Amino acid sequence: MSNAFDFPGGIYPPERKQRSNQSPLIEAPLPRRITLPLQQHSGQAATPCVVVGDAVKVGSVIAKREGMISSNLHASISGMVSEVSATQICIDGDGQDNWERLPSLDWQRAEPSALLERLNKSGIVGLGGAGFPTHIKARVVERHAIHTLVINAAECEPYITADDLTLRHHANEVLEGAQIVAKLCGAQHIMIGIEDNKPDAIEALKHALSNYQPINIELKVIPTRYPSGGERQLIKRLLNLEVPSGGLPADVGVLCHNPGTLLAILHAVRDGQPLVSRVVTLTGEAITQPGNRWVRLGTSVRELLEQAGLNTPELNQVIQGGPMMGTPLLTLDTPVTKLTNCLIAATLEELPPPPAESPCIRCGECESVCPVALLPQQLHWYARAQDDAKVERYHLFDCIECGACSYVCPSHIPLVVDYREAKSRIRLQRIEAVKAEHAKHRFEFRQARLAREEAEKQARKQARQAQQRRSPTSTAASSEKVDLRGLRIAHAAAKASVKKAEKTLARVAQEDPKQSLDDLEMQLATAQENLKAVELQLAQAREQQPSEESP
Amino acid sequence: MSMMHASGVKDAVKATSMPPTASLMRWVIAATLPGIATMSYFFGLGVISNVLLAAAFGIALEAAVLRLRQRPIRVTMNDSSALLTGVLLGASLPPASPWWLIGVGMIAAIVVAKQLYGGLGHNPFNPAMVGYALLLVSFPTYMTLWAPPQALLPNDLWAQIVGTLPTAQLDSLSGATPLDAFKHKGEAVLASEFWAANPLPNGTLSAWRWVALAWLAGGVVLLAKRIISWHIPVAMLGSVLLLATLFYLSDPSHFASPLFHLLTGATLFGAFFIATDPVSAATSQRGKLLYGAGIGALVMIIRTFGGYPDAVAFAVLLMNLCVPLLDLYSVPRPTGQQKASLGKPGEQP
Repeated sequence: MSNAFDFPGGIYPPERKQRSNQSPLIEAPLPRRITLPLQQHSGQAATPCVVVGDAVKVGSVIAKREGMISSNLHASISGMVSEVSATQICIDGDGQDNWERLPSLDWQRAEPSALLERLNKSGIVGLGGAGFPTHIKARVVERHAIHTLVINAAECEPYITADDLTLRHHANEVLEGAQIVAKLCGAQHIMIGIEDNKPDAIEALKHALSNYQPINIELKVIPTRYPSGGERQLIKRLLNLEVPSGGLPADVGVLCHNPGTLLAILHAVRDGQPLVSRVVTLTGEAITQPGNRWVRLGTSVRELLEQAGLNTPELNQVIQGGPMMGTPLLTLDTPVTKLTNCLIAATLEELPPPPAESPCIRCGECESVCPVALLPQQLHWYARAQDDAKVERYHLFDCIECGACSYVCPSHIPLVVDYREAKSRIRLQRIEAVKAEHAKHRFEFRQARLAREEAEKQARKQARQAQQRRSPTSTAASSEKVDLRGLRIAHAAAKASVKKAEKTLARVAQEDPKQSLDDLEMQLATAQENLKAVELQLAQAREQQPSEESP
Repeated sequence: MSMMHASGVKDAVKATSMPPTASLMRWVIAATLPGIATMSYFFGLGVISNVLLAAAFGIALEAAVLRLRQRPIRVTMNDSSALLTGVLLGASLPPASPWWLIGVGMIAAIVVAKQLYGGLGHNPFNPAMVGYALLLVSFPTYMTLWAPPQALLPNDLWAQIVGTLPTAQLDSLSGATPLDAFKHKGEAVLASEFWAANPLPNGTLSAWRWVALAWLAGGVVLLAKRIISWHIPVAMLGSVLLLATLFYLSDPSHFASPLFHLLTGATLFGAFFIATDPVSAATSQRGKLLYGAGIGALVMIIRTFGGYPDAVAFAVLLMNLCVPLLDLYSVPRPTGQQKASLGKPGEQP
């Protein structure tokens, strides 16, 4: 246990974890029908590749990733596709639970590219909350040297015990999953950050650590305080490294993964099992059998809560996620997705509505709890005044929206709501500003596509000519000089611009999962079209070249 | 957004979450009780009449202005901030001040200093100290009518409150406060000679000390309940003590001892109840330290070199003036940023 490093601020809200951490992790009953939204991750929604009436097995791909930041979607029950819409796919189950698995991979021997491809195919995204596609995150090593993989098991939000139970039941497997990621990103060191309010999980980890581990793993137990599970806060706490503003953990050589994600990675690699289920904490005073369940993605929240003994008259609201950062569900007829880590069925008494707001008295309590050392109260004034220049000067975009300031505010000012509004207002303005830019990029994309089509036409033409030229006498057909060197340079440049576009897209998407990526995807597509065109031209030229050099 | 609220949650951990604003105000009012009780014990019921009158004026004026401004009256009044201003101003005035004096002070405090600036949370100056300062410069005679320690029910209490006491008699009632007496001891007189002449009526010094300790007790309660943060009182008392010690050590025959500065006059009252008003104080922790230290330094400078013997009100108001600047230059460095923004244009994220 180390207290050497610390982040500022933080709060100690009531933990309320006992409600869901007393019973073992069990499978939820197989749902009869599932609804799978196409957007269960940051980036672009997946594109359906099944039609109504198709028979699917558990693990069949039903929607493919679209664009770079995206993720595949798999059937989580076996049965028949009953609905395909622009936003979701429904499957009626046959009750058979027939599986379709990929072949097992031995991660110790497999090539990194094969492992990456497996993660890509398996539709794995970060299960901690933001849902960033894991294969993209794993490719971070192409741009950054990673020294440490952090397993973020802090789970600092009240109520949630999903990671706690995952570790208690699957500590060995989580560590093996971590080894896979460490191998992929070249990390020499794995560090587990866990809060001291999970003694059983810590015990399980210690036990698992006594087994042989190829890469050294260090377990660090930190005192319970919200929000130590914030990626940046945990990295500060464990390694005393400060992730730069607007940057990523990779900028300081660190990669963070949540235990659930690591377990899913192992399942994908070792068992060939795509992401079709996850651990969900069911809790709150309005259910009688709280606990953690393995839930198939797409299961209805209502069904799940009713199986857990939902007391409907007592129920006031269901919160998805934790009480600090989660969101209240507008309807229970919504499915569990890859991002659903917790469902709190709360009574009115348990999580009452906020008291009426009163004026800010500038007490500064919010500042003293801010884990980023911002001035929430100044941000509040400027956000309300819509003074966007000032809120940015006071680093609004460094706010992690943890809600500690709102929690302590004696005037009950919903500070985080103000900040979110200000952020989206500023983002909207920026989007307006880049719209013209986007139009330009669309034009460029069209040009690139036309160029690529032209190059393809040329290639076909040349192939025909080559076929006609089979007879040895007609070699002199094409005598125009081919600038092979120029094409090689253009090819390298096109390749570099594709890489650059991918890099930008990955970075932006990871920094800010809510941001629209259309324009960047478009730029990437343009670069790819250009690359294709140049590749074709180069291939053509190479074919011609020997005929010119041979005489 | 946080759906957990500090109040209302049955097992909320109160140690770090703040009680709501209204209850903060009521805690501060409750914490003034030892001070007010001790003052009444030594200076008579006139103290209580001050507080009651000022509080009544505070509530009435706040309600009237809210009505004029067409703001919700009941909800806003519920925060008890006008009541607190009344209690604080009432406790600062000489015992049994006439009703009109209190009324004028409260008009300056509530109407001018607070509501004309936009109500709770918007006033740049401490309302009670604006009222006090206005009275001090406008009605110096009445503001120095500090009677020596007396019976709980002094003679002519009623006549003085309602203003029917002849002015000639007012002078006979008054006595100098220890700070006042020391201030006007005269250049030629050494401190030892001055004290030897026994300038104050019996018991005056010890009465003031007990009152100061009672304010200290209230302040400790506020600190323990985390109603106020330690930064301002500690910085203010620290700078008073430091400067007083420096002065005293440089020339004990002309300057009062640090303990004298601490335990007579409004030093402790000001440190815990006046300077800590969050609305008009600096906001960041570093800002609060500078703000408190500034008040302490100004108190010592005005007391030593200025024309007013106590100086807490002026020191607080002067530092209120500096708050925007302090806020600007005490911005902490956000995690992940190279340095604090200091209000300068930052990098576009």
